[in-house]
Amino acid sequence: MKKLRVLLADDHIVMRAGLRALLDRQPNLEVVGECENGRETVELAASLEPDVVVMDVAMPVLNGIEAAKTIVTQRPATAVVILSMHADESYVMRALKAGARGYLLKDSAAADLISAIQAVSQNKSFFSPKVSRILAEDYVRVLKQRGAVDSYDLLTSREREILQLLAEGKANKEVATALNISSYTVETHRGHILQKLNLHNPAELVLYAVRKGIIS
Amino acid sequence: MTEKKPDTPLASNGRGRRQLGSRGALFAGFGALLMLTAIICVDSLRTLGAFATHNTQIRQELLSRERTLEQVRAGLYESSNIARDYILIESDPRAQEILRTELQSIQNETTAALTACIQSLSTGKKEPFERLAQELEHYWSTIGPIFALRSTEKNLGNAVLRGYVLKQNAEILAITKEVSAVNDDELREADRRIAEVLAQFRHRLLMVATIAFSFGLILAGTTIIYAVRLEKSAEEKYHESLQAQRELKDLSKRLVEAEERERRAISRELHDEVGQSLNALLLDVENLTEMSSEEGPFRQGLQKIKTLAENCVNEVRNMALLLRPSMLDDLGLVAALDWQGREVSKRTGMVVDTVEENVSDNLPEDHKTCVYRIVQEALNNCSKHAYAKNVWVVVSQEPHHLRVSIEDDGKGFDPSHVHGLGLIGMNERVSQLGGVLKVDSDPARGTLLRVDLPLPSASTDREN
Repeated sequence: MKKLRVLLADDHIVMRAGLRALLDRQPNLEVVGECENGRETVELAASLEPDVVVMDVAMPVLNGIEAAKTIVTQRPATAVVILSMHADESYVMRALKAGARGYLLKDSAAADLISAIQAVSQNKSFFSPKVSRILAEDYVRVLKQRGAVDSYDLLTSREREILQLLAEGKANKEVATALNISSYTVETHRGHILQKLNLHNPAELVLYAVRKGIIS
Repeated sequence: MTEKKPDTPLASNGRGRRQLGSRGALFAGFGALLMLTAIICVDSLRTLGAFATHNTQIRQELLSRERTLEQVRAGLYESSNIARDYILIESDPRAQEILRTELQSIQNETTAALTACIQSLSTGKKEPFERLAQELEHYWSTIGPIFALRSTEKNLGNAVLRGYVLKQNAEILAITKEVSAVNDDELREADRRIAEVLAQFRHRLLMVATIAFSFGLILAGTTIIYAVRLEKSAEEKYHESLQAQRELKDLSKRLVEAEERERRAISRELHDEVGQSLNALLLDVENLTEMSSEEGPFRQGLQKIKTLAENCVNEVRNMALLLRPSMLDDLGLVAALDWQGREVSKRTGMVVDTVEENVSDNLPEDHKTCVYRIVQEALNNCSKHAYAKNVWVVVSQEPHHLRVSIEDDGKGFDPSHVHGLGLIGMNERVSQLGGVLKVDSDPARGTLLRVDLPLPSASTDREN
């Protein structure tokens, strides 16, 4: 089996070394390069064409989120996993909007990094369990405070099925194949889901799924 | 600066004394001028009054003398008529008696008038009148015997009348003319004296007026100089206070900037250095754990270290976020405000609704910080003092303005009475960026805080 090519970006040398030690022990992974700022990462991602970029948010010159935006735009096949110290929605949302597929907390990197790299390389989303938990808690608290109805109850069971597949990162066509329906029907369902949940883009849809604990 | 300081109190002290002295001089000068004017007025009025009285008195005196003379003349005329009538016409004893009585009454009246006139005169002027009185006395004594004549002796009477009485009559008339002339002379003399007094008065008035005018001129000059000096010193003081105000403002600005800079530096240090090192430590611990295959005290020890380090990471992250949220620098104002809203909501149970309209990620650093800190302070107030249940934060960006409004449904306050340090701090931050802060609150309602910040044109160009 072909090894997964990983590009590592963190401005903190000790952190980077620790991550590298962790990755080097994996037989099916290969670290193809290390960078210490956003611009360098964008350049190396273009020249080395890695399968996965593991990147810190706070980096000099260009931060991880801006770098992720450029990397995903110039080569959509590259999956980006963002490393961050914050489990806050703002960061998660920005990372998702920028096109990152995984969001990991640094203090749980050791436990989750390998699973995250494997998940995103298979076109799935991945979030640190702690992130999912915090987002879900926030969501429940907001619903309680505002006494609002949970919009998830508005979805039909077919729509819920499709929501989960889309949130996992599957394309319309893949969903259509999996459920044995036409991709046109999937698109219609997708429109309904976004409308019912008051969501506006795929990133928000993923975030919503994480909050609800539909995916992790 | 340091050299100037010690003699500043001395200089101001000296200036104070000088000011007090010149003020006293001015008061004295104005007082003197007013007094002088008052004296001139009183003196003029008195002189004019005395002058008028004197004038009237002289004229009345002359008039009364002239009247007396007139009476004397009329008496003479009438008495000679009566005498003639007595001699020529009347032979009836009753008519003769009437004529005699008439003469007597004329004689009495004339003598009485003349006596009164002489008595009212000063000694020097009596002489011609006394002569007149003697002459008149003589006349009466001459005319008297005519009425004693019997009708047969009337020819004698006629002779006496014609030869003697009429002659005397003419003499007396001459005296009265003389007296009249003296009177006229006296009138002229009085006129001359009046003119003299007037000239004297004019002279004195001119002198006093000249003195008053010169004095006033000096006083006016001094006052103008004093006023100009005062104005200059006031202007100096005003500029000094303006300068001090500017310096104070500058200082407070630098203070705010320094505080923010320090917070950011410490926050970054905690986040990037301490936090990252702890994360690296966690990674190493994990690597070690995986390397050691057997369970036992070694692995348990590692697990303990891991838990400790995780707690430390959380602690450090929270401290760093409290000092200055990394979102503000990493993600921009919108993310930082949203995060803050969620954090406050989580901590206090207050529902914070945050809405951002067209807010750019590339706002100038100062504006980002200003809005963030103001919303932070406002939310703090809402939960601590207003006990609000809901807060609505709206930030909207327009081509040249950034508008922020923070409204709560808690206890309001009276903005004209409450001047907390928080509000002062907010005002300071806003005015440093040339903006305006408005507080609309009422104890019965909640509070609405509005901020309007002008945006430099460069930042609006980069809007995305």
